[in-house]
Amino acid sequence: MTRSLFVQAIVFGVLTGGVYALMASGLSLYFGVMRIVQIAHPAFLFLGAYLTYSLHNALGWDPLLTLPITVPAFFLIGVAVQRLLLARLRDENRAMMSVLLTFSIAVVVEGTLSAIYTGSYRSINLDYASKSFELFGARVPYDRLIGLAVAGLTLLALFSILKYTRYGRALRATMQHRDAARLVGVDTERVTAVGFGIGLATAAVGGAVLSIITTFFPSGHWEWIAKLMAIIVVGGLGSVGGAALAALVLGVTEAVVQVWLSPVWAGMVFYLFLFLTLIFRPQGFFGGRLAQRF
Amino acid sequence: MPSASERPRWQAVARARRWNYAGIVALVAVLCAAPVMVTASYYRYAGVLLVMYMVLATSWNLVGGFTGYVSLGHVAFFGFGAYCTGILADETQGSVILALAATFGITTVGAALIGVVALRVRGASFVIVTIALVYMGSLLAQGMRSVTGGSSGLDIAPLFTVSGRASRHAAYIVTFAVLLGIVMALWNFLDGTKFGMGLKAVREDEDRARSLGVDTTAFKVAAFALSAAFVSLAGGLYATWTGFIDPIFVFSVQISAQIVLMTLLGGMRSLWGPVLGAAVIVPSSEFFLVNLPRMHLVTMGVLLGAVVLLMPDGIIPSLRAANSRRRPPAASIREDGGSVAAGDPDSAGEPALIANGATP
Amino acid sequence: MPFAPRLTTDRRRLRRWAIGTGVLIGALPVAGLTAATTVPDDAGEPIRIGVSLPLTGDFSEPGEGIQQGYDLWAADVNAAGGILGRPVELIYRDDASDVNKVVSDYEQLISVEDVDFVFGPFSSRLVIPASEVAEDEQMVFLEPAGAAPEVFERGLEFLFYAAPAVADEHYDYLADYLTALPEGERPETVAVASMDDPFAQGTAYGLRDQLAEAGIEVVADEVYPPGTTDYSNIAAKIADTDADVFVGGTQFEDAVGLLRAFEELGYRPPYMAFSTGPTLPEFTEAVGDARNGILSPVGWSQEATFESNPEFVASFQETFDTDPHEDAANGYTVGQVLNQAVEAVGCADSSEECQTSVRDFIRDNEFVTVVGPLSFDEAGRPEQAHMIQQWIDGEVEIVLPAGSDVQTAELITRD
Repeated sequence: MTRSLFVQAIVFGVLTGGVYALMASGLSLYFGVMRIVQIAHPAFLFLGAYLTYSLHNALGWDPLLTLPITVPAFFLIGVAVQRLLLARLRDENRAMMSVLLTFSIAVVVEGTLSAIYTGSYRSINLDYASKSFELFGARVPYDRLIGLAVAGLTLLALFSILKYTRYGRALRATMQHRDAARLVGVDTERVTAVGFGIGLATAAVGGAVLSIITTFFPSGHWEWIAKLMAIIVVGGLGSVGGAALAALVLGVTEAVVQVWLSPVWAGMVFYLFLFLTLIFRPQGFFGGRLAQRF
Repeated sequence: MPSASERPRWQAVARARRWNYAGIVALVAVLCAAPVMVTASYYRYAGVLLVMYMVLATSWNLVGGFTGYVSLGHVAFFGFGAYCTGILADETQGSVILALAATFGITTVGAALIGVVALRVRGASFVIVTIALVYMGSLLAQGMRSVTGGSSGLDIAPLFTVSGRASRHAAYIVTFAVLLGIVMALWNFLDGTKFGMGLKAVREDEDRARSLGVDTTAFKVAAFALSAAFVSLAGGLYATWTGFIDPIFVFSVQISAQIVLMTLLGGMRSLWGPVLGAAVIVPSSEFFLVNLPRMHLVTMGVLLGAVVLLMPDGIIPSLRAANSRRRPPAASIREDGGSVAAGDPDSAGEPALIANGATP
Repeated sequence: MPFAPRLTTDRRRLRRWAIGTGVLIGALPVAGLTAATTVPDDAGEPIRIGVSLPLTGDFSEPGEGIQQGYDLWAADVNAAGGILGRPVELIYRDDASDVNKVVSDYEQLISVEDVDFVFGPFSSRLVIPASEVAEDEQMVFLEPAGAAPEVFERGLEFLFYAAPAVADEHYDYLADYLTALPEGERPETVAVASMDDPFAQGTAYGLRDQLAEAGIEVVADEVYPPGTTDYSNIAAKIADTDADVFVGGTQFEDAVGLLRAFEELGYRPPYMAFSTGPTLPEFTEAVGDARNGILSPVGWSQEATFESNPEFVASFQETFDTDPHEDAANGYTVGQVLNQAVEAVGCADSSEECQTSVRDFIRDNEFVTVVGPLSFDEAGRPEQAHMIQQWIDGEVEIVLPAGSDVQTAELITRD
């Protein structure tokens, strides 16, 4: 493996890691506020990609310009899903029930996409998409750089909300200890719903980025779920920052392994890290105390 | 020891358990006889799949029903069993039975090792870990081409040399039915042992059980390994039945989810729940695929969501509860512990059990 | 539907359904309330053909494409009076790209629906288990899309692949062309990347092996799993070798991913070939101008003047309001072979006797199809060759075999 190839892999790894971070951030939120595994998140990512695609084709807008439409829409969908469906889950068996419920939601989303758009491959090809510039002897593609920038901005926005707004404090309180939060006057029901909405809103952003960098088809979302899940466990369940860091680390490792060994073993990287995390630090490397005992 | 006032209900539960054995025998007999009445190759094919899913769901229920741990990764053992049997049958020059037996043993050990690591976490983390198992299995099966045939799949010798598809399907209905009988009998048996009680203690309150001295890790790992072993055996049998292993099918998360849903629908805490759930879901998914060509996914998804939201206990406990609401209450509130549903024999005696120190 | 370009509108869909008596029936309920219908061989009774296709799931796009081909064939045949004076009726089942379901579909079609003939599904992965069912039931299995070498190595007697060539021979003309170049012009290095899939690898390795044999150095040989979502690093590895020739054993998603990454990395070798992807209509939408110069093996060409092809093209354009594509052509070819065989043999039922005679006829004869004359060897492999297409100035041109009737342009190198 030449040095330039290695540098290129690192560059790609960082760019992809950023996208992973964006996609996994929503999962962290869901888990944080509800302690659930949201299997339908990648399906919503794909829904976001399809909506972006339709808006792009119908109105000619750049995918990123469709965000002002898709993000609020997804936020509302998220609130609705949480209030109408997930809130009905009882406390016991919540892990299993949420998995199954979100699994059925994923199937419904996929079925709807398949019925409306058929199975044809879709993609968005922009002028700047295949162009790149040079950095340290490696090429940096514009579309992925934009993806990274969008991811960064979104995560920054998320952080700011969590850290500096009153709502964010309420959200963090709910994530840490629901009953205690209630005792100090936080309306945990509403906070949870909004938290879920924010999580799904990140899916809208992630979907837009997805639509720029790859082709997509209705059943493609199943490929993402395991990787994203592994990321949030390694990062620490419930920790948005942890997920972001884990995403970067895993993205870079995956890229290097792909180039150094083979693409098959690159896929295993996620799961190896997952098992290492379980063995040595079950609560995740960057995360809080939420994981094991939820 | 159960207290004097609880003995009648406890005896009723034990008696029900004995009747279950009769029921199992009857079910197996019916299944074995079914091919006589159903001769079209297609229906027998569907029958093999149905009984196989019953086996998978009941095996899963050894972990899910008793310990409450939700594994979405059982299909990984299914796939592993298929490949293990296929590869070993090749090595041992075609003794498929030997390969199956070896697969059972290897999986028991392997699953125990995996379980030791995976069961360190609970709830959502555990689910995630089991999902990862499936994808790992898929990657390994495709990556280790020299051993597994990679994406081209693996051919495997049949267990029975019977000519004619319909006859072969009939032979496998019988085989899977016998396996089902074994797994169900095992489930029923464990339900009444201290091992089973210990597992249920894990489900009710793991930390309390551990603090009372129950070796929860050993119990969990044992249940997990046993459950995985039977699933792998089913996988091996499936492979010999189709004659060909496709890596993508045998490692697909959707199958795992379906198994869990079947058990959920039927009722996780009962012996018959998985069987009932499979009997409902397997034909109906085929029905939707056939009759609603474009909409089958949406329909299935909506139905499954409805099951989760509206019947989270499953059919059997709901029936039981409805049934016992008609009868006068079995005991006074004081004996009941106050919060236990009058008609649920599974949870009836357990708080008392833990309080009385149900240690192995 | 205003958004998606390839969707059929309600009006078009209505038109399709109204075509002749070759109407597709959403298959009958499993409840078995319909007794197994044994269709008497009277004149006028429809010839029932059972098909399982992946209409949903991973293979849904090509599955639908093949369905269009089957439907059009049935409509054309019925408009011309049917086969042996009897109309043709297609019975579809959706196998959701699932190997278990494809088997159960064919079991149902054969043992419960009691169809007279079966047509194959899409993809070698589904063809292999499905063909076993047909073989056990002693029924002819003409399939449009199972080309991987493994399909033909199973000792099946009733299976026939209705396209010009099997996977490992798809690139033959390109291999001949490259190895025949004079010393100064001949490429010296080749890089290969392939999806871990029997068909895709079949195509790529066929070319790779022939080039290696001619002394061209294989400097990269990557394999990636089907679920791969990101191709940039694989592309980086390939680009790093700066090989003269790139061979992609690809489907669609990976062809697009790799090509886009190659553009970003600035890797533009003189010869770049991908399987499948560049032959699909969505390729233009996905890669834009980067498609120019890309080579690809293709079994069917719109401009080819093979007997029955111009009529097929016209009929397709009229029915579906768009140009035909290779998947539909493959489906149509299957129908054509069956049509000619059944007319020649004179029987159309599921009896062993009839199926065996049809099988023997198919094996011993040559057929007129939209992909040209077609004949088969004893394992069901077709004995013709795939053409090589190239995107030139935004259009698909047939560049190989050079000097033949089908060629529409000269092969160019990318710069």
